[in-house]
Amino acid sequence: MLKILIPTLFLLPTTWLTSSKWLWPTALTQSMLIALASLTWLNNSTDVGWATLNSYIATDPLSTPLLVLSCWLLPLMILASQNHLSSEPVNRQRMYITLLTTLQLFLILAFGATEMIMFYVMFEATLIPTLLVITRWGNQTERLNAGTYFLFYTLAGSLPLLVALLMLQNNAGTLSLLILPYTKPLLLTPFGSNIWWAACMIAFLVKMPLYGMHLWLPKAHVEAPVAGSMVLAAVLLKLGGYGMMRLMVMLEPLSKEMVYPFIVLALWGVIMTGSICLRQTDLKSLIAYSSVSHMGLVAGGILIQTPWGFTGALILMIAHGLASSALFCLANTNYERTHSRTMLLARGLQIALPLMTTWWFIASLANLALPPLPNLMGELMILTSLFNWSAWTLVLTGAGTLITAAYSLYMFLMSQRGPLPQHMLALPPSYTREHLLMALHLIPLLLIILKPALLWGWFA
Amino acid sequence: MVNFVSLAREHWVNILVPIGFVIGWYMDKQQDQKLTAFRNRSALYGRELKPGEEYTWK
Repeated sequence: MLKILIPTLFLLPTTWLTSSKWLWPTALTQSMLIALASLTWLNNSTDVGWATLNSYIATDPLSTPLLVLSCWLLPLMILASQNHLSSEPVNRQRMYITLLTTLQLFLILAFGATEMIMFYVMFEATLIPTLLVITRWGNQTERLNAGTYFLFYTLAGSLPLLVALLMLQNNAGTLSLLILPYTKPLLLTPFGSNIWWAACMIAFLVKMPLYGMHLWLPKAHVEAPVAGSMVLAAVLLKLGGYGMMRLMVMLEPLSKEMVYPFIVLALWGVIMTGSICLRQTDLKSLIAYSSVSHMGLVAGGILIQTPWGFTGALILMIAHGLASSALFCLANTNYERTHSRTMLLARGLQIALPLMTTWWFIASLANLALPPLPNLMGELMILTSLFNWSAWTLVLTGAGTLITAAYSLYMFLMSQRGPLPQHMLALPPSYTREHLLMALHLIPLLLIILKPALLWGWFA
Repeated sequence: MVNFVSLAREHWVNILVPIGFVIGWYMDKQQDQKLTAFRNRSALYGRELKPGEEYTWK
């Protein structure tokens, strides 16, 4: 574990001491080396599941895919931001890379933590670099408003969690994830138990985000620079799912009744946010709402608490992380050329940038869950476990899948097909950097088809 | 001929991350030794290792 953590820490002085000419290549290669080294975590051969253990941090089959995803995202974010930041003074570029690296540091500590309180602290700590990236490097003045929403939704949601965790520590005497599943359930009054259950879950449901508590997300996504959107969609939302899976095991037997409203809300959210996508004009906002829709399905899979539900949720989280991050990068390539997120203004790009259309095509298909891709595998497992719980959920999940397909195709057709508008006279060609960026997103996604067991979590 | 002095001045920072890896590797090893210090030695679980068996658990 420290093999990855300490190099990440050393990436910070490297960023500040390297000469300005070599800043981006150095940051990219070094972070890529760290990402490649992190792949060794996937080779988990221990008997007990927990591996690379030390006193505070460890990996297990649930956290490993998410840890590798967070390490993989850093070089991609650096690669994606290079053009966006090229006009800024070099110290601000260094600051930007420093913030992204700090974010990776916090994410590794959050996903690797073996103590719930350390997870909580790191969960909150990730807010700071993300907030700075959004409010400092966003493109419009609305970014300040978006930053406020982002910060206060998450903070307000997670304060009850702190109280709930301290109570648990007081009663059970430990918050260690290795011990918690074996502790006695908390004895409270019936009403108190319900409040405690809600306190444990709300923070993560806000972060997921659950439909109804999701208003911060489209704002943050639309206003954030490309790296902010990427990490938000790919990893930060998954902190919510991860936290829920961790806490769910000790919320028995309360969860059986408590989850009903949340499952209903999550599935209703899939339909509602999907429908919102169908009438979006703003490309980034569309991708953001599609994230809410997919995460609704993940929330359903986790709340249902079957092995299939958990596995499906983990698979969908990783697959969605890669696919939505790829879509945000593609949206950014459009934005860098047309300086607008409005889909109507950048149509028919297939004629101008044909190879980029291929990436759009693969990313859209991944978003709508085409058969061999892990996105479909995750969705199917969640759909199956929800169907097993109640046949009526199929109405919601089925319609959700249909709407997802519809808006993914709408996005692809809207941006790529048709004639090129008259106002686009001089489009810069797509750069090798952008193709590399897309390849590094989509090749892992395609490779997972060959070994899906990496994402099966504890139930492999 | 390559100017090694200028090369070192320009690129010495690239050594930091590999140094971090080495430090991390060393500290990981220390932690492993600390956490497995009592492996196969407790009164309850200590036993004779089978021929060819390296550890009781990992």
